[in-house]
Amino acid sequence: MEIRPILSALLRNKTGPLLVALQVALSLAILANAVYIVNERRAVIARPSGIADEHATFYITARNLNSDGPEQRLATFKREAELLRAVQGVASVANVSQMPLSRSGWNTSILLDQRQQRENASASMYLSSDSLVSTFGLRLVEGRDFLPQELVDLDEKTQDRAPDQVILTKALADKLWPGASAIGKSIYFGRSVEGMSSRVVGVVERLQSQSAPIEEKAEWSVIIPARRYGDTAAMYAIRTEPGQRDRVMKEAESALRKSSATPMILEMRTVDQDRQTRYRSDVALQWMLVTVSLLMLLITCSGIVGMASLWVTQRRKQIGVRRALGARRIDILRYFITENVMITSAGVFGGVALGLALNQLLVSKLEMARLPAGYLVGGALLFWLIGVIAAYGPAWKATSISPATATRSV
Amino acid sequence: MLRMTNLSKVYRTHMIETHALRGFEIDVREGEFVTVTGPSGSGKTSFLNIAGLLEEFTAGDYILDGVNVKGLDDNARSRLRNEKLGFIFQGFNLIPDLSLFDNVDVPLRYRGFNASERKRRIDDALTKVGLASRMKHYPAELSGGQQQRVAIARALAGSPKLLLADEPTGNLDTQMARGVMELLEEINAAGTTILMVTHDPELAVRTTRNVHIIDGQVSDLVRKTPSLAQTPVTA
Amino acid sequence: MFGYYFKLGLRSLRRNPLLTALMVLTLAVGVAASVSTLTILHMMSGDPIPEKSNRLLVPRFDNGPLDGWAPGDEPSDVQMSYPDVANLLKSGQGERRTALFGIAGPLEPPRKDMPAFISSGMAPTRDFFAMFDVPFLHGQAWTEADDARAADVVVLGRAMAEQLFGDADPVGKQVRLMGSPFTVAGVIDHWNPRPRYYKLVGGNTFGDADDFFIPFATAIRHEADNNGGMNCSSKREPGYAGLLASECTWLQFWFETRSATDRRDLQAWLDNYAGEQRKLGRFKRNVPARLYDVMEWMEELKIVDNDNKLSVWLAFGFLTLCLVNTIGLLLAKFSVRASEIGVRRALGASRREIFRQFLIETGVVGLAGGVLGLVLSFGALALIGMQGKEVAAMARMDWQMLTMTFVLSVAAAVLAGLLPTWRACQVTPAIQLKSQ
Repeated sequence: MEIRPILSALLRNKTGPLLVALQVALSLAILANAVYIVNERRAVIARPSGIADEHATFYITARNLNSDGPEQRLATFKREAELLRAVQGVASVANVSQMPLSRSGWNTSILLDQRQQRENASASMYLSSDSLVSTFGLRLVEGRDFLPQELVDLDEKTQDRAPDQVILTKALADKLWPGASAIGKSIYFGRSVEGMSSRVVGVVERLQSQSAPIEEKAEWSVIIPARRYGDTAAMYAIRTEPGQRDRVMKEAESALRKSSATPMILEMRTVDQDRQTRYRSDVALQWMLVTVSLLMLLITCSGIVGMASLWVTQRRKQIGVRRALGARRIDILRYFITENVMITSAGVFGGVALGLALNQLLVSKLEMARLPAGYLVGGALLFWLIGVIAAYGPAWKATSISPATATRSV
Repeated sequence: MLRMTNLSKVYRTHMIETHALRGFEIDVREGEFVTVTGPSGSGKTSFLNIAGLLEEFTAGDYILDGVNVKGLDDNARSRLRNEKLGFIFQGFNLIPDLSLFDNVDVPLRYRGFNASERKRRIDDALTKVGLASRMKHYPAELSGGQQQRVAIARALAGSPKLLLADEPTGNLDTQMARGVMELLEEINAAGTTILMVTHDPELAVRTTRNVHIIDGQVSDLVRKTPSLAQTPVTA
Repeated sequence: MFGYYFKLGLRSLRRNPLLTALMVLTLAVGVAASVSTLTILHMMSGDPIPEKSNRLLVPRFDNGPLDGWAPGDEPSDVQMSYPDVANLLKSGQGERRTALFGIAGPLEPPRKDMPAFISSGMAPTRDFFAMFDVPFLHGQAWTEADDARAADVVVLGRAMAEQLFGDADPVGKQVRLMGSPFTVAGVIDHWNPRPRYYKLVGGNTFGDADDFFIPFATAIRHEADNNGGMNCSSKREPGYAGLLASECTWLQFWFETRSATDRRDLQAWLDNYAGEQRKLGRFKRNVPARLYDVMEWMEELKIVDNDNKLSVWLAFGFLTLCLVNTIGLLLAKFSVRASEIGVRRALGASRREIFRQFLIETGVVGLAGGVLGLVLSFGALALIGMQGKEVAAMARMDWQMLTMTFVLSVAAAVLAGLLPTWRACQVTPAIQLKSQ
C-alpha cells in the first residue's frame, strides 16, 4: 500500500483534505456529545414514578362552593370518596395531598437527630388517610403498610405535629441508613414541625417526588398517614381497572356532581398527562439533538463525497497516467479509498480531542455529565465507516477513467 | 516485438462513425527505433493508444512480445503495460504533488517490487538520466527538459521491452529537445525498442525507420539504414 | 461594478444548479437552526420593558434560621415573608412599590348558563399597574383608598372580561369571587408578557395571562391561599394568622425608582433595614440585603435554563459545520472557473477586482441561503412550537430576528468565501491561457 506517497501528496495540497477532516472532527465531536445527552434523557424520561399502572390512574380535585364548616366538609370528603369507590371499574381510591410528576406539592426536611444543624435530606411529602400503597400500587420491599388505626384525619387549624409512623422510599432509606434496615428507625421532621420522632414502619421500592428533577432526590419521598382538612378542596387519587380509565373519569365526574346540592368545581388530570407535561421539554431537546445529528451526518457525508468527486475530476489526467503506467482498476480504487481513510482518520483523531474538549465545556458551563469513552469510540468507528462508504462512489467513478486520457492533450 | 495485422479502430458516437485506423499493418522488431509520422487527424494518437494498450481496437490482431492482446481483460492489459511497456508523453505527465523519487516509483509500486528493489531501480533510472541529485525535488522546480528526463526515468525504471513516446520533444526548446533525443538514442543503443510518434520531420530522419500514417493507414514504408554517426546540429 | 458583479453572481448560481442547490441548502439549514434557537433564546431573555428595566428593582433578604447555615452560603429564599412585605409597603421608599402573590379561587360567573370554575389571578397593590405599564381597556386601577381598606374590587383581564360580559363595558358590575361579590374597577387590554418577569416565582412563567387582579390587602383579608411557592424554614403557627406572622417566604415585591442612580440610595436604606431586623432578632443570618433589576432577576432565577443554552450552542456548532462544508463547495465552484479568471486577469482585471467579484458572488449565495433559511426557520419554529402553547409563544420571529437571519446568512457565506476567493485571486493568467 502506497501510504507514504499518498500522505506526502496530501500534505502538499492541504486545504481540501483539511476541510474534510475538519468537518469529520466537528461532526464527531458534536455527535458524540449529542447522542450521549439523548441517551441520558431517555433514561431520565423512562424513570418509573412508582405508580404501578400509570395509564389507569388519575386524580380529581373537588371543590364545593358552600359555606360548610371544617367538620361538615370532612364528612363530605368521606362521602365523596365512598361515591368514587362505588363507580364501576374503580379499583382503589385514596385522598392525597399531592401527586407524583404533577409539579405541585410540598417538600420537607428530614433529620436523624432533632438537635443537628443540617438536614439529612429533603423529601417530598405525601399525606393521605387512605392507603397510598394500595391506590398507587406501590411495592413494599420492607415492613408493612399503615394499619387502619394509624390513619388519621387532622384539623389543619391545629398545630402541625409529626406522625407516629411513616413509610419511606428505598432510596431515602438507603440515604439515611446506608446498608441497614430502616424498619423501626426514627426520623424527625424539620424545624417547622413540632413533636416527637416518627418511626419507619415500611419501605416502598419507589415513589417519585412531585417535581421529579434529574437528581437522586427525585426518589426521596415520605408517606404520612394523615389528612389535614379545612380547605374547601380535596384531592382524590383513583386507580381503575386496566383500560377503564376514560370511562371511569366521566362516570366519576357525573357521580360527584349529582351528589352535591351546591355547585362543584372539578378538575381532573391523569398521571399520563402529568408525565407528558413534566418531560415535554426533555423530549423536545431529544428531538432537536437527533435531528441536528442526522443532518450533520448527511452534511459531512456530502462533504466527503463532494470533495472526493472534485479531486477525481481535477486529477483525471493523473489517473489516466497511472493507468497507463500499469495501474489496474482496483489499484485506482484502493488509492482513493486509502487517501480518504487517511483524511477521515485525521478528522477522527481531531474529533475525539474536540469532543472531549466540548464535553469539558458542557460539564463546566452547563452542568452536563461527563462523556463516557464508548461514545467517542463508537463515533470514531462510525465516521471511519462513513469515510470509506462516501468515498466509494467517486473512487469507483475514477476507475472508469480510460488510460488513453494520458495521451490526450487536454 | 510488436505486430499489428489488419487492425481497425472505429469511434462511434450517436450518429457519427469515425474510422481512426483501417486495415493497419505494422511490424516492429526488437531493438528498432521507429518514428511514426503523419498529419493531424491521421490516427497517430489512436495508433499509439492501441499500441500502448491504452485503448481497445475494433478488429484485427495485435501481438505484443509474443502475447496476443485480443481478448485480454483490463487487469491483464494493465499488467502487460506495467511489465513490458514504458511511456513518455508530450506533456511529461509527472504527478505534481510527488517528488521525483515518488514519481519514478509509481509504476514500480504496481509491479509489486519490495522497497529495496524499488529504491535500487529508481536510483539507477534517475542516474541514467542525470537527475539523481535532485531526487527529493518536485516537478515544478524543474525545467521542461528535466521533467521529460524524469518521465523517461519513470518509463525505464521497470526495464520495459518497448518504449512508447508521444511527441516527447514537442514541449521543449531546441537544446532540451536535442538532449532528450540523445538520451533516447542511448537507450535504444542499449537494447530497448522505441516507438516514437512525432510530426517533426527532422526527428524522423534520425531514426532507423519511419512509418507514415495518412487517414488511418500506413502510407509509406521508408527503410533507412542505421545511421553511423549522428553529428548534432549546432545552432 | 457592484451591480455588474451582483448580476454575474446571480448568473453563476444558475450555471451549476446541483452545486448551487447544495451550497444554498447547506447554508440555509445551518442558518435556520441557529436562528430558530436564537429566536427562542431572544424571546426568553430579551428585555421585556427596556424603558425602565433598570429602575424596577426586587429586594431580597435572608430570614432563614441559623441551623444548617454556614456563612457564605447562598440564600435559599427568592420570595419574602409577610412582615418584611408589610414593612416595605409602609416604608415609602422608591417612587412606587408593590407587593404581590398569585391566587386562585372559584369564580361564579354572573351568567346563569356558565358553571363556576377555578380562576387564577394575582393580588398586587395598585401601583403595580403603573409600574409595569399595564394597558387598560375599560376603567382604571382601583384607588389607594381601596388598597387601604382592602375593598372588594377587581380588575379583569380582557379574555376573562369578554368571557363573562361579552363586549360590554363591565366597569361597576359585580363578579362573585372566592365566595364574595367583587366590583369591577377596570379591564386591562391584552397583556401577557412572556416570560412573566414580574412574577417569576410560582410557575406559569410562560403560560396564560392572569384572569383577574384584586388588591393585596383584600386577598389577605379573604385569607386567600398562595397559588405559588412557599418555603417555611422555621416554626409556623397553624392558621392564616400564623402564616402572616411566620418567617415563611411566599410573597414578591418590587420597587420602582425615579432614575437608575436612585438605586444606591435604596440599597442603603435596605442595608439599614436589614441591620435593624438583625438587631430585633428577626434576621438571624448575617447576609447583606440585595437588589436586582429586571434583567439581573431573570438571570438569577435562571429563566434561560441550561437546555436553552445547549440548544443555541448546538445550533452554532452545526452552523460552523455548514460553514466548513460551504468553504469546500465554494472551493470546488471556483476551481473550475480558473480559466475564466485567467482570461479576466489577462484582459486587465486586478487581483482586487477578482477578489471583489467573487466575494460578491459568495454574498449572492449568502442572500439565497438567507431567503431559504428564513423559510426553514419559520418551519423550525413551527415545529418547536408544537411542543405546547407556552413554547409556541416563545417561538415567534420578530423584526430583529428576521434581519438577523439575513445578516447571519450573508456573513456566514462571506466568511466561508474568504479562503476560496483569495485562492481565486492567485490564479496566474498565463498558465490558464496556455492549456485549452
